Amino acid sequence: MSEKTMTINLKIWRQSNPTAEGKLVDYRVENVSPDMSFLEMIDVLNEQLVHKGEDVIAFDHDCREGICGMCSMMIDGKAHGGYKNTTTCQVHMRLYKDGDTIVIEPFRAQAFPIIKDLTVNRGALDKVIMAGGYITASTGNAQDANAILIPKPIADEAMDAAACIGCGACVASCPNGSAMLFMGAKVSQLALLPQGKVESAKRSLNMVHTHDQLGFGNCTNHAECEATCPKGISIEHIARMNREYLKAAFTYYEKDRSEGGA
Amino acid sequence: MMTSAVNHYFFSSIGRKQLVAMTGLALCGFLVGHLTGNFLLLAGSDAFNIYAHKLESLGPVLYLIELALTGIFVLHLGLAIKLTIENVKARGGTKRYEKKVKTGRGTTFMSQTMPYTGLVLLVFVILHLISLKYGTNYPTTVDGVPMRDLYRTTMEYFASTSATIWYVVAMICAALHTSHGFASSFQSMGWNHGKYFKNVKRIGYLYALAVSAGFAFLAVWAHMKGV
Amino acid sequence: MPINLESKIPAGDLKDKWSKHKFDSKLVNPANKRKYTVIVVGTGLAGGSAAATLAELGYNVLSFCIQDTPRRAHSIAAQGGINGAKNYPNDGDSVKRLFYDTIKGGDYRSREANVYRLAEVSTNIIDQMVAQGVPFAREYGGYLDNRSFGGSQVSRTFYARGQTGQQLLLGAYSGMMKMVSKGKIKMFNRREMMDLVTINGKARGIIVRNLITGELERYAADAVLLCTGGYGNVYFLSTNAMTSNASAAWRCYKRGAAFANPCFTQIHPTCIPVHGDYQSKLTLMSESLRNDGRVWVPKAVGDKRKPEQIPEEERDYYLERIYPSYGNLAPRDVSSRQAKYRYDEGKGVGPTGQAVYLDFRDAIARDSLATIAGRYGNLFEMYQRITGDDPYKTPMMIYPAVHYTMGGLWVDYNLQSTIPGLHVLGEANFSDHGANRLGASALMQGLADGYFVVPNTLSHYLASNVLEKVTTDDSAFKDAEQAVVLQTSRLLNTKGKRSVDEFHKALGHIMWEKVGMARNEKGLKEAIESIRKLREEFWQDVKVPGDTGNFNLELHKAARVADFLELGELMALDALERKESCGGHFREEYQTPDGEALRDDDHFAHAAVWEYTGTNSSPIRHKEELVFENLKLATRSYK
Repeated sequence: MSEKTMTINLKIWRQSNPTAEGKLVDYRVENVSPDMSFLEMIDVLNEQLVHKGEDVIAFDHDCREGICGMCSMMIDGKAHGGYKNTTTCQVHMRLYKDGDTIVIEPFRAQAFPIIKDLTVNRGALDKVIMAGGYITASTGNAQDANAILIPKPIADEAMDAAACIGCGACVASCPNGSAMLFMGAKVSQLALLPQGKVESAKRSLNMVHTHDQLGFGNCTNHAECEATCPKGISIEHIARMNREYLKAAFTYYEKDRSEGGA
Repeated sequence: MMTSAVNHYFFSSIGRKQLVAMTGLALCGFLVGHLTGNFLLLAGSDAFNIYAHKLESLGPVLYLIELALTGIFVLHLGLAIKLTIENVKARGGTKRYEKKVKTGRGTTFMSQTMPYTGLVLLVFVILHLISLKYGTNYPTTVDGVPMRDLYRTTMEYFASTSATIWYVVAMICAALHTSHGFASSFQSMGWNHGKYFKNVKRIGYLYALAVSAGFAFLAVWAHMKGV
Repeated sequence: MPINLESKIPAGDLKDKWSKHKFDSKLVNPANKRKYTVIVVGTGLAGGSAAATLAELGYNVLSFCIQDTPRRAHSIAAQGGINGAKNYPNDGDSVKRLFYDTIKGGDYRSREANVYRLAEVSTNIIDQMVAQGVPFAREYGGYLDNRSFGGSQVSRTFYARGQTGQQLLLGAYSGMMKMVSKGKIKMFNRREMMDLVTINGKARGIIVRNLITGELERYAADAVLLCTGGYGNVYFLSTNAMTSNASAAWRCYKRGAAFANPCFTQIHPTCIPVHGDYQSKLTLMSESLRNDGRVWVPKAVGDKRKPEQIPEEERDYYLERIYPSYGNLAPRDVSSRQAKYRYDEGKGVGPTGQAVYLDFRDAIARDSLATIAGRYGNLFEMYQRITGDDPYKTPMMIYPAVHYTMGGLWVDYNLQSTIPGLHVLGEANFSDHGANRLGASALMQGLADGYFVVPNTLSHYLASNVLEKVTTDDSAFKDAEQAVVLQTSRLLNTKGKRSVDEFHKALGHIMWEKVGMARNEKGLKEAIESIRKLREEFWQDVKVPGDTGNFNLELHKAARVADFLELGELMALDALERKESCGGHFREEYQTPDGEALRDDDHFAHAAVWEYTGTNSSPIRHKEELVFENLKLATRSYK
């Protein structure tokens, strides 16, 4: 725990509403402790703004322990600051030096409209999940939890994918504004598990088509998503989705039984 | 919706990406064949001209192959351009972040320059066809058989320093393009297995280096040799 | 209207109560379910699982979420695991043992019947979550793995790395999303409940604030389920998320829902210590770490050497010394209190002295670094990111922090509050954990309430009441909305000098010092005085910039802190009135010679249930006597 404090210069994107013109505004925060988290440094700035009677900087945050996925900032052009396996709330000021200038912008993508300042609407990610990111297992249907054995490496791999916190850093850092890592993680997790395999084909078709309609871009395998993912999710999961999708597109078939029938 | 899944495939993000991947890999295959043929330049004019003549005399089959190759090329190119335009829109326009910094662990120079190296290669291919395939047709006879002296056309072409430099530049672009494209195609097709993918990437780099260096070597060799 | 505290516990043998009750409950015919609308506030494990299940059954569900998506509810932050009485490890577990452990862990201040039901459905929860694709940890044979948690001597905790809460929540969330896509759940994100609307004494709707536009919105329904979590943020610093708040529950309290045992708060022993006054929250280090980590302090007072320099014989592994049979896995309240004693003795470590060591040196030597990394790697990384220290090399420093609130709105066996139609689920109710919750039981309770309890009990309520049609034009909606409008304009127009956070921090300081880990009569009386004074100052001097009609974060916080300032007083009052020590409630006047909690079963074997009587009058303390027919009240010992 260090005693020395720092002065940090900030350039923060301010935009009062979705349609307003936004711009970067300069701020200066003094007495920043290296033990502060990045968001606590912004708390300090906001307290200053309150005392000046100014509108505080709107930013999303909630659990502040790196799991809820709410915090979302481009710090110096990198999602969550670009540190390995780290969300914005887990970035600490000891990573910066006295006098540093930090540029803070919202997660930008066509599918993430800005609400205010650094807050964006990531509702499109919910829509991708709605299109099939679930297992249809209504409450009460379940058999004994140990009835289907799952090899440990498969369960672990599924857990790797399931670790996604839905923060959208993959979209924000993808040069194409694509949500393939987010979607791939879910498709892959459920395709790996025997419980999820049942509806894997339909899932991948519906999710991919929904993803495309929502204005997300296409994957060109930059892997910038993997690099900025705070949970270190691998693009292998995108590959698994590609495979599932290819298979589904050419083999999934449901007969039209709307006429006649028993 | 389900019954039209196949139709959707050809308009979907992943479907079109996979078409780019497959056509890309096919073009990679073509380059290997092309390069193998080109090495006959080293064996002298007769060997090279006989090889060219044999290809020519395939007749309709050659046209079919050329048609397929053109189709693959146009599809690869057209889809790539379409996807790139969509991607610029999806990221929210050309100006996105004030600071343009990457983590250094994802995006590479090769992956970022794919559209540009691709366009250079497009221009290159057109010019390449004009100056060589559709270049001056010198008649010659080898073992009494009349045929085109493509060897002479080629050597004359590379006699020019600027043409050779342009060719080498294009081959550098080809190296950059395929070094990302090769492994990327495997990823797009879903052939990324933790156990093998590192090697796929290595093979991709090796391929890019070997093929591009091969072509460039022949160009420089031809230039040095002179007409 | 006199308050009705009938617990509605069914008669009969403990183990048959729940199945008998289900059979005796009235059902709603499948075709009629679609005629009912149910409001579910909150999308954590309780709210998410309830919304999904009710929608699957055919009800129309309106679901409200304070974050931008239901997947971010704070259940997501639970790390260690979820209990289930499966007895897969064959180590002597059973429904009865989980029941027993939970009652004992709660220091005999919870209802037998509720807890037994919880233990009973715990096994179904594990089955259900596996079916929904939760990738629980497994062994090489493909079977589910278990680990142990504080307060039990069996391994019954299922886990998904250090992210069990996340995985369970995403399971519940995915079920919700399925029903949203089918149109059976209407999802309202970034909405905060501002008030409950009652018509003819029944809960019939809510007023919410659209956090983005600032507009107030009205929603009517046939029943309201409140799944809004606990009130730990009254302490300002806690492991709760920043938006976790008590307002929804508090507004229900002011509308007539009784509040039970508000002083029962859980102080979790393994959190990263406080390190500065700018700090916004505390981070929990999973209790599972105590499976392998050993807790110690130096034996000598004021020993400032580095931990590595302190030889074995000069270390006091105090939990192992005092509680040989449970050791480092002593329950949370006990472990927290022992850490506080070490600080009081001057043996605390770190720059502030408010810390003890949690050491993995021996575990690494015994099981190898790779094994320990496999078990806790992500937690170690998190610790290092926050503190800058590497726990593989140097012991972690931990200290207790507010984590969970066992108290909450009073509910009967059907999870219905004293307001008919208002059901309260999960941490928001008071039902199952008594005076102290065992590790890995919060997830279990949230899901039990949402998946298995409320779907049954709600149908009984709907089928046995005539619910006339109401619209949001009803005067009750107008009045409730008007009250919110008035409060909002008062907050915005006070235009004082102190920020909302300054008040919140001041309240938190009072609460932690006087209504925290150890309480006494004098301190509690002072706390009540100080809170009242602070509340007055708040309404005269708070500064909330901006206006309504847009995304005004300071305004949102201000409304929450206004409620915390009232709730804090009730907590202190409840703590003052409970003249005994039990579980997380430790009154210094009532302790054994060796510093353990001293219960007074003759006078306090009851839930204290508080009734609101108005702004200017004191709340009334009612009692719900706790009847123990199956377990004998015993002194809780972990020695």
